[in-house]
Amino acid sequence: MTRLEKTFKQNKKNKILVTYTVAGDPSLSTSKKILNDLISSGADILEIGVPFSDPMSEGPVIQKAHERALKKNIEFQNILEICNEIRSKNNNVPIVLMGYMNSFLSLGKSLSNKLFKAGVDGIIVVDLPYDESKFFFQNLRKKNIDLIRLISPTTDPKRLKQMLASSSGYLYYVSLKGITGAKLKNFAEVKNKVKSIKKLTNLPVVVGFGIKDAKTAKKMAAFSDGVVVGTKIIDFIEKKSIKKISNFTKLLKKAIN
Amino acid sequence: MKKKRQTKYSFPDKDGRFGNFGGKYVSETLITALDQLEEVYSKAKKDKLFQQEVINDLNNFVGRPSPLYFAERWTKKLGGAKIYLKREDLNHTGAHKINNTVGQVLLAKKMGKKRVIAETGAGQHGVATATVAARHGLECIIFMGEEDIERQSLNVYRMKLLGAEVCSVDSGTKTLKDAMNEAMRDWVTNVEDTHYIIGSVAGPHPYPEIVRDFNSIVGKELKLQSKKEFGKYPDIIVACVGGGSNAMGIFHPFIEETKTKLVGVEAGGSGVKTGKHAAPLSDGKVGVLHGMKTYLMQDKDGQILSTHSVSAGLDYPGVGPEHAYLRDIGRVEYQSATDKQALKSFHELTRIEGIMPALETAHALAYVNKIAPSLNKSKVIVINLSGRGDKDMFTVAKEDGLVL
Repeated sequence: MTRLEKTFKQNKKNKILVTYTVAGDPSLSTSKKILNDLISSGADILEIGVPFSDPMSEGPVIQKAHERALKKNIEFQNILEICNEIRSKNNNVPIVLMGYMNSFLSLGKSLSNKLFKAGVDGIIVVDLPYDESKFFFQNLRKKNIDLIRLISPTTDPKRLKQMLASSSGYLYYVSLKGITGAKLKNFAEVKNKVKSIKKLTNLPVVVGFGIKDAKTAKKMAAFSDGVVVGTKIIDFIEKKSIKKISNFTKLLKKAIN
Repeated sequence: MKKKRQTKYSFPDKDGRFGNFGGKYVSETLITALDQLEEVYSKAKKDKLFQQEVINDLNNFVGRPSPLYFAERWTKKLGGAKIYLKREDLNHTGAHKINNTVGQVLLAKKMGKKRVIAETGAGQHGVATATVAARHGLECIIFMGEEDIERQSLNVYRMKLLGAEVCSVDSGTKTLKDAMNEAMRDWVTNVEDTHYIIGSVAGPHPYPEIVRDFNSIVGKELKLQSKKEFGKYPDIIVACVGGGSNAMGIFHPFIEETKTKLVGVEAGGSGVKTGKHAAPLSDGKVGVLHGMKTYLMQDKDGQILSTHSVSAGLDYPGVGPEHAYLRDIGRVEYQSATDKQALKSFHELTRIEGIMPALETAHALAYVNKIAPSLNKSKVIVINLSGRGDKDMFTVAKEDGLVL
């Protein structure tokens, strides 16, 4: 059983809290500290952003996080080291790298080997839709690394069925048409969509984009398997109030369960 | 006999690929919009009424066909091959960019979209988009890098006069690539009522195909004009390449005419060896950006490098996927010209022929300046004179140490 499978199985009655931060933001050492704080305050899965020069799907807050990390000259090697360090102390928490195609392409054919050695459990490639993903999917399967699929409000049922045939780990439902940190407008639509996805698959479905407070997280968790929170955590980093992250995380965790 | 020499060329394939290049690397939310565009376009291609509508606009709104002009004095000065200019600078709004926007705006209307967005570097594509939006009464937002807004202020004002909103993009390198990122962000947010008019043969499928097809009018006209003017197809066709739409437009109808040599000229900036340039086909690696697999200027971790060119329209770290393919199969030769060489050619054409070219186009001129003298007088070179240089007055003055 993979770490992701274990996480969802052991917490069957509980909802999963997924956090997103960017590797190397605001610096290599502080970003490590933040990740450790997130684990101890209740994060169940760590999504770690791979900073990219052209983060096309991000809103202004996460864009700046990518820029801050790149200013500190964070390289892919550093990110793998961060994963390794977490793994050396904690063999349970799943680590999912989230980024853009060109970053993962730079690892070449040894993609799955390098990720596996660093203790990475899955990756999310924002600009790699199902149609283009065959090579990555097969390469990652060799090491049981999950290619986490993003499903959007515009994904039609026929396409969804095709995607589900080659999905593993969990599904990430993007709650809105837009960029990260945008304003979430239509709860009922999200609820209906998530329910319709769950009818077609046994894979866990987590909801992300636009979840900025405990109240929204609670609402979303009521009909899904968990929530992803990113922009709000990074907002604390931008405002130099890193100390508030732990409390916020605890609050989220409490609210969804 | 002629048919034997032809090689079949039919790209993109059904997956939107040119060999290994191209594809659709976008976020899941945009897939539906691309599928819709693909479907509408493939119908429009066969729709005679639609095609007639495009032709009417090209003739009566854009002012086509554009002349094929013999640059007699320049030819004489260089003393070698005959040089002709395909005068895309004479189009309405002053560049080839409008060939694409008149077509795409009709597609937008077919899809029932009320709002169009576009990215722009030099501002020519922004102006061409704002122009067709004004003509059809559509809301129009143009994304432009902060640095480009500064160096192309005349075009910014033109877009505003045409009723477009110009959004300044201050992320990343503050140029064309960042404007494209921001346009993608807008599109993913407003995908239902918005059509994104990409201005080059770049981006995800089906854009490289659509933009190429609409610009191919340039090469199609050239086929007729060259037969009439000098009784054969040109020996060499030269065009500048940023994203590569003017080059694809003039090259594409000639791809199977293998006797005609095709040369694309990239922005060499301070020189390809200095690293300060915008020439991914000369000095780049294969990667994925803005929805396409192509040659990119990038570091070992896949971070996109900042580019440098005196011309805002060529200041882009990638290139259309079809160019990447044509480079790899050797059908098109890709060269580069430096800022200095381009500026010199800008002045030369202005003084010798009374034609002030865009700085982008001046890169193609610089290459011809280099090769024409050593070629036989019976040879014919055609340059795609992709745009006029009015927009570049401030940049040229600055390079010459003047303040206007």
